[in-house]
Amino acid sequence: MKATKRVSMFALAAAIVAIALASPTQPAAQTVAAKSSAGDNSFGASRWSVQVDKVDPGDVAVASSFQIAIYESLLDELSKTKQFKQVLRDGDRNAGSVSDLLILKTTVQQYTPGSETRRAVTTVSGATKLTVRSQLCTREGTVISERTINGNVRFMGSNLRATQKLAHNVAKAIKQASLPEPAHAAPVQNGQI
Amino acid sequence: MNRKTIPPYRTLDSYLLKGLPALTFWTLLILCRDGALAQTASVTTDTSSSMRATHLLGFQGAKNNAKGMLSIQDNALQFQDSGKPAVQVQVKIASVQGVFLGEQSKQVGGLPMTLGKTAAPYGGGRVVSLFAHKNYDTLTLEYVDADGGFHGAIFQLEKGQAEVFRNELVTNGAHVSETANEPAKRSTTEVVCESN
Repeated sequence: MKATKRVSMFALAAAIVAIALASPTQPAAQTVAAKSSAGDNSFGASRWSVQVDKVDPGDVAVASSFQIAIYESLLDELSKTKQFKQVLRDGDRNAGSVSDLLILKTTVQQYTPGSETRRAVTTVSGATKLTVRSQLCTREGTVISERTINGNVRFMGSNLRATQKLAHNVAKAIKQASLPEPAHAAPVQNGQI
Repeated sequence: MNRKTIPPYRTLDSYLLKGLPALTFWTLLILCRDGALAQTASVTTDTSSSMRATHLLGFQGAKNNAKGMLSIQDNALQFQDSGKPAVQVQVKIASVQGVFLGEQSKQVGGLPMTLGKTAAPYGGGRVVSLFAHKNYDTLTLEYVDADGGFHGAIFQLEKGQAEVFRNELVTNGAHVSETANEPAKRSTTEVVCESN
């Protein structure tokens, strides 16, 4: 009786160990599959490089600090996405030798300069709001993707935080857009975020 | 009760002001002159090309929101991060293409203060917010790197220091366009602007 119990306990323990050893392999295999499929999806985009143009203020009186903050934040966010082979700055001489180059043009459409103090005191007013038109073009000028994107600071944080949010939204929109293979350009995609 | 009455001519004031007016006058004059000289010296020190600044973003190699010293040395603009480890980043002044001034009002105290204000009862935090803000100058720089790539950097300085630093940069050969003299208060005005 005792021997049977011992055998059954041993069998149970062995089964638990076997399950424990087998279970991590399944998620690992799933992760690999997911990675490869994601790689397939972003294959077209990863072959492109992007050059970020200076922010065009349009007819809107935007402070220079905001224009610079948008530009630098865009460079940061696009690098973080790792969607492009290279992220180049406006005027970079190396851009001439890059074959598959997209140009990101940003034009300010609306700007409401807020106040951090007003936000802290009233909560409902003093928001900093930014709206830009973001265009992804080829070197020849064909627009591949065009979107209107917002970036706001409504509660906490400095006014410049609106530019970081805006840049994050732009990078997210570009990541979601299906970019064509470098050889042929796709029709324009319009949208608003 | 046992107080002695001191006659007015025996008090110190009366001795100084009435007894020896000329000596008092000259002593005060000399003291004032020395004070004025000391003030002038301190002003001269303040206008030197090195000042405390917070790097908000953009200066390549420096961390965002890093505090340090912004200075001009050997025709180069230099930012020395005061954090650990201390990082020193510099850009040649000849590559600076634009210098813009701005002004911004910021809440002081950071996150602890914000949490404290949120926790204060009866909306007391809002009243604190009304007074717990400080005005800063912003100095926006545009410069190009060795490959011709366009860069921008924003620094936050104590009020009144940005203009001094811009003048230093111009003296040292930085190119400043006419549009760089934009009104400093533009960033704080509350207007909605829309393009067509």
